Amino acid sequence: MRAPAIRAVGLLSGWGEGAASVPLDAKAAAAGRAVLEVERPALDPERFRRSRRECLMGVAAVHLMLEDAQQGPEAVAGERTALLFATTAAYAPSNRAFIESRGGSTYFPYTAAAAVPAEVAIAFGLTGPYEILIGGAPATLRAIARAAALLEAHACDHAIVLAVEVFAECADVFARVRRAPRVPLVETAACLWLDRGHGTIIFERRRGGTGGDRARIGEMLSCEPLATLALARETGGEGPVAVAGTWRGETARLEWSARPYRTRSRVA
Amino acid sequence: MVTPIGQDLDTFWSALLTGADGISIIERFPVKDLRVGQGGEIKKLTRAIDWRRVPDSRAARLLVSAADDLCVQAGERPLGVDPERLAVVIGTALGGVEEGERALAGSPRRFPHALYDAPGHALGRWLGARGPVITVSTACASGATALGLGAELLRRGEADAVVAGGYDILCRFVLRGFDSLRSLTRERVRPFDRRRSGLLLGEAAALVLLRREAEAGGKRLGTLLGCGSASDAFHIAAPDPEGRGIERAMRAALTEAEVDGTEVDFVSAHGTATPLNDTIEAAALRRVLGPRASVVPVNSMKGAFGHAMGAAATLEAILCLLAGRHGQIPATLGLEELDPACDLDCVQGVPRAARPRLSLSTSLGFGGCNAALVIESA
Repeated sequence: MRAPAIRAVGLLSGWGEGAASVPLDAKAAAAGRAVLEVERPALDPERFRRSRRECLMGVAAVHLMLEDAQQGPEAVAGERTALLFATTAAYAPSNRAFIESRGGSTYFPYTAAAAVPAEVAIAFGLTGPYEILIGGAPATLRAIARAAALLEAHACDHAIVLAVEVFAECADVFARVRRAPRVPLVETAACLWLDRGHGTIIFERRRGGTGGDRARIGEMLSCEPLATLALARETGGEGPVAVAGTWRGETARLEWSARPYRTRSRVA
Repeated sequence: MVTPIGQDLDTFWSALLTGADGISIIERFPVKDLRVGQGGEIKKLTRAIDWRRVPDSRAARLLVSAADDLCVQAGERPLGVDPERLAVVIGTALGGVEEGERALAGSPRRFPHALYDAPGHALGRWLGARGPVITVSTACASGATALGLGAELLRRGEADAVVAGGYDILCRFVLRGFDSLRSLTRERVRPFDRRRSGLLLGEAAALVLLRREAEAGGKRLGTLLGCGSASDAFHIAAPDPEGRGIERAMRAALTEAEVDGTEVDFVSAHGTATPLNDTIEAAALRRVLGPRASVVPVNSMKGAFGHAMGAAATLEAILCLLAGRHGQIPATLGLEELDPACDLDCVQGVPRAARPRLSLSTSLGFGGCNAALVIESA
């Protein structure tokens, strides 16, 4: 499959903004905190008055991506941009709030897994192909592969792959169900701007195996591959780039035959 | 498949043709405090399945019931595919949310089942699939997205067979949500009717077995020629009043299928019976189908058992296949007086004898999710 080029990245996490904020050792940097939270992004309070924090994180990540590309929203607006969203449980806080009756009719639509990408699509006028995958890191890797397929088929000219995870509102639940919390849970919203690129990309998956770099970045679930790709841009070289991730006993891996980045990080 | 009007393909088809009504008062959870307490509820899962192998989650059990019927239809249980090459792609709007309700009510061990991809993985285990197990959640378009992604797995050689489809269950969470939005009708569901006043929710699971053309064998029901999706980018819950998103999705599906709107023989519509949806969908269909829009037969199943959410689009796709196989298009239950604002050839009253070759199925969901499928009958 023809490889997509990575034109820009947006990364907002409990560590801060951009790849430079990510520590070398998550456990040490967390200093005992189980969850690294992202504050509600300070976006237009009137326009986003009903929006939930996870939706605003998604919007903020795309703003960071556009800033990284030095482009305005008009560069991605319209039907030629695909939006592919992945999450493991970004819907969990809204579901919980609704079950516990903290949200009324106004908030019910925000319980859908589609709420985050909907807010992003509305904010940036993204009206192209639209898919939402649920799962951990493999869902995001598949979303990138799916974006590559859409670009290759000329079903779109740009693709935004977005992943969001939030943990704070359900921290008690995660504490109960996580088997070995060796690293902190790191709330994250991350995205890539993909265009048609050069070379090829290979998507593989298999049962078992391991992938990702949780020891460094913490547990980001579906956001992990995007954070890893943002970090990989900081290193030099022209060789292949590979990223892998696991969820529910499955490992997925993407490998670009050549370095996919169109730009260097603006902070590098 | 498993639906309120039939728990196997043949019963479902007979029920559609005879106008069976799957709407009833909901009995499985309390509804007395809600404005509307009726919907398309499956009173009892009737298939003979060893439930010890399936999690105690209604969503997983609906899926497994549908898979059991699929295996019967395919004539092989387990499916005669190398497990490593068998994939599962499932669409849902709600996933295991009812398990979240139960967990928060005092059964914390149920939390893992509340994740939206949990029921799909339970199905994967039941089928013995060791290929990809994928969950998509484009709200009420999920069942179409799943079929499109399943076809992609075959095209890319990632699997040799894909069990694809959608499901959702009726639970208090979703009924309370739609009730609070005042989207539910106290009357009957009347798609495209002048007196339509809203939708009712239903529960179902529907699956298809996708194979590459060369490996499909003689039991093929049809071919998925194209799948398209598009975002409205308009409102978190309401559809774009001009229907531009669903129009783009339809055009994308037709482009992928390499056919023109004027070639479509039948439309299996979303037709929720909300005042807004049906007018928008009809207008978009008229633009896409062109001059033939007034003579292409249209059906909506929502009157028969409500809006099955994540299962709806797969059921609508299956209807296209069954209409092509049997040469009949069921009537739209609940439609008595066509709304002039929905100026389509909605099949009304009695089934119509017609054998569509090329069908279009449309889906719209919360969050501006739109999807369309183009299906060719065998």
